[in-house]
Amino acid sequence: MTSIEEKFEESKRLGLQIVKESEEDRLMTLSVGPQHPGSGHFRFVIKVDGDYIVYCDPDPGYVHRGEEKMCEYRNVIQNIPHLERPVIHDSANITYSYSLAVEELVGIEVPRRGQFIRAIASELNRQVYTLYWLAIYGIFLGHSTMFMWPTGDREVIIDLLEALTGARVTHAYNIPGGVRNDMPEGFRDRCLSQIRYLQKRFKEYEDIFYNNPLFRQRTEGVAVLSKEDAIKLGVTGSVVRASSVPFDVRKAEPYDIYNEIDFKVQYMKTGDCFARSYVPLLDMQESCYIIEQLLDKMPASGEVRAKLQPNPKGPPGESYRRVESGRGALGYYIVSDGTPKPYRVKISVGSFRNMLALPYLLVGQRLADMPAVYWSLNYWPVEADR
Amino acid sequence: MKKELLSPTNFNVLASKLSDVLVKVLDSPLGYAINWGRIWSLWPVHLETACCSVEFGAASGPRYDVERFGIIEAFGSLRQCDLIVVQGTVTRKMAPRLRMVYDQMPEPKYVIAMGACAITGGLYIDSYNVLPGVDGIVPVDVYVPGCPPRPETLIQGCMLLQEKIKRSKIR
Repeated sequence: MTSIEEKFEESKRLGLQIVKESEEDRLMTLSVGPQHPGSGHFRFVIKVDGDYIVYCDPDPGYVHRGEEKMCEYRNVIQNIPHLERPVIHDSANITYSYSLAVEELVGIEVPRRGQFIRAIASELNRQVYTLYWLAIYGIFLGHSTMFMWPTGDREVIIDLLEALTGARVTHAYNIPGGVRNDMPEGFRDRCLSQIRYLQKRFKEYEDIFYNNPLFRQRTEGVAVLSKEDAIKLGVTGSVVRASSVPFDVRKAEPYDIYNEIDFKVQYMKTGDCFARSYVPLLDMQESCYIIEQLLDKMPASGEVRAKLQPNPKGPPGESYRRVESGRGALGYYIVSDGTPKPYRVKISVGSFRNMLALPYLLVGQRLADMPAVYWSLNYWPVEADR
Repeated sequence: MKKELLSPTNFNVLASKLSDVLVKVLDSPLGYAINWGRIWSLWPVHLETACCSVEFGAASGPRYDVERFGIIEAFGSLRQCDLIVVQGTVTRKMAPRLRMVYDQMPEPKYVIAMGACAITGGLYIDSYNVLPGVDGIVPVDVYVPGCPPRPETLIQGCMLLQEKIKRSKIR
């Protein structure tokens, strides 16, 4: 066995030139994405020292389609279809906050039955989103069963939403003034039976995925985000709730009928990857109870949509409303100058806030933990890029 | 008449026709086998350009199960892939990367343009950062319409591509 010093001496004797490596040479730069199974529509540059990540630089913007500018040359109703494209599997939530902001601007009141149906569509969509996220999280950790099961169960709710709205993923259902059309007949019973089925499945998810020793080892104690850091970084949704901050827009600033609904804000105290991946499941379970309550308390008949003028416009002014989407607080800030077209629309999304925590969390972790940390942030790149 | 047949122009035509027949006779068994192999191993690159990737994911799920047609959910290297499914809007930032991925893939390679945005720009036609269709960057074999296309439509597009490969000649 020759030590490094002996090798060094020997190469000196042989006349070989030895260049001592500097700190920069030790590091290797890796570009993850956009063509990478684990990155999605996103790229981040990381530097690794051996197996440890020492630097991370996120590079979003691969799907920047200029939504905010496009809003300025369409009127408020024409804006709905393209505004829901950033998160097509959570489209009821992203149009929900837009509708609330426009209603505040125009000054219309949504009928009570319309508010309930809106909330039901939004809760169902939250489950569609979270199941898809869970499926992707499962496959990126190498757990193929966790891709197949949520993707299959997601189709069940997509069928429900298709019966309700008429489209698979892009509904354009929550619109300013209420919802586009009334519920179909027999929707209540169908919805309840599907919710029961899902609640049964959540237990099986826990058995196969969350109680899996391999998954636990890969996520428990990895990339801990403390409560103070979570607040300082401004993360929202399941990420901030995993760091023992019970913040939920539905509870903090109830919109529509959410102040009549009895539900708990689910949160965990550890703030590691496991907590960040487990809180969305708790959210889904809570969402099932919310849907049951909504279906019980809903008025049996009535209007679902307030009458709007053909080209809705309000007085000059501004409005900001936010809702709790699958990824956290999602808000729209609309400035109107009194014409049918908005003067400025700003979309504040949860994904972008959660992505900003990525450099803080990845530094110091092993390279193999990168997918687990990245997807635990509940991040959807298309939404962050807008 | 014999003179006419043996005139240089006619002879050339005859020879080319004869060679076509010969190539067909000799090449068709081998070509059929090669095409058969290509049809059942279309592996897509894992490059998501926009939101149609959600429906692409649903197509690989248990209900639609696109794997039964040989289109495997790709988690491999692009050096082993022969299909790009352009999943939606191509922005100015994504376009050079898409072309780079296409250039690095080995021949034969096929492209499916999925969704209205990949075909013409779709809903985002008047956006400042979106290309009007992907066919200006890479040659497209099959266009799959919809915004987003249902998984059934995507599967039909894949089957059309298989049909196209089946009828294509081996180079």
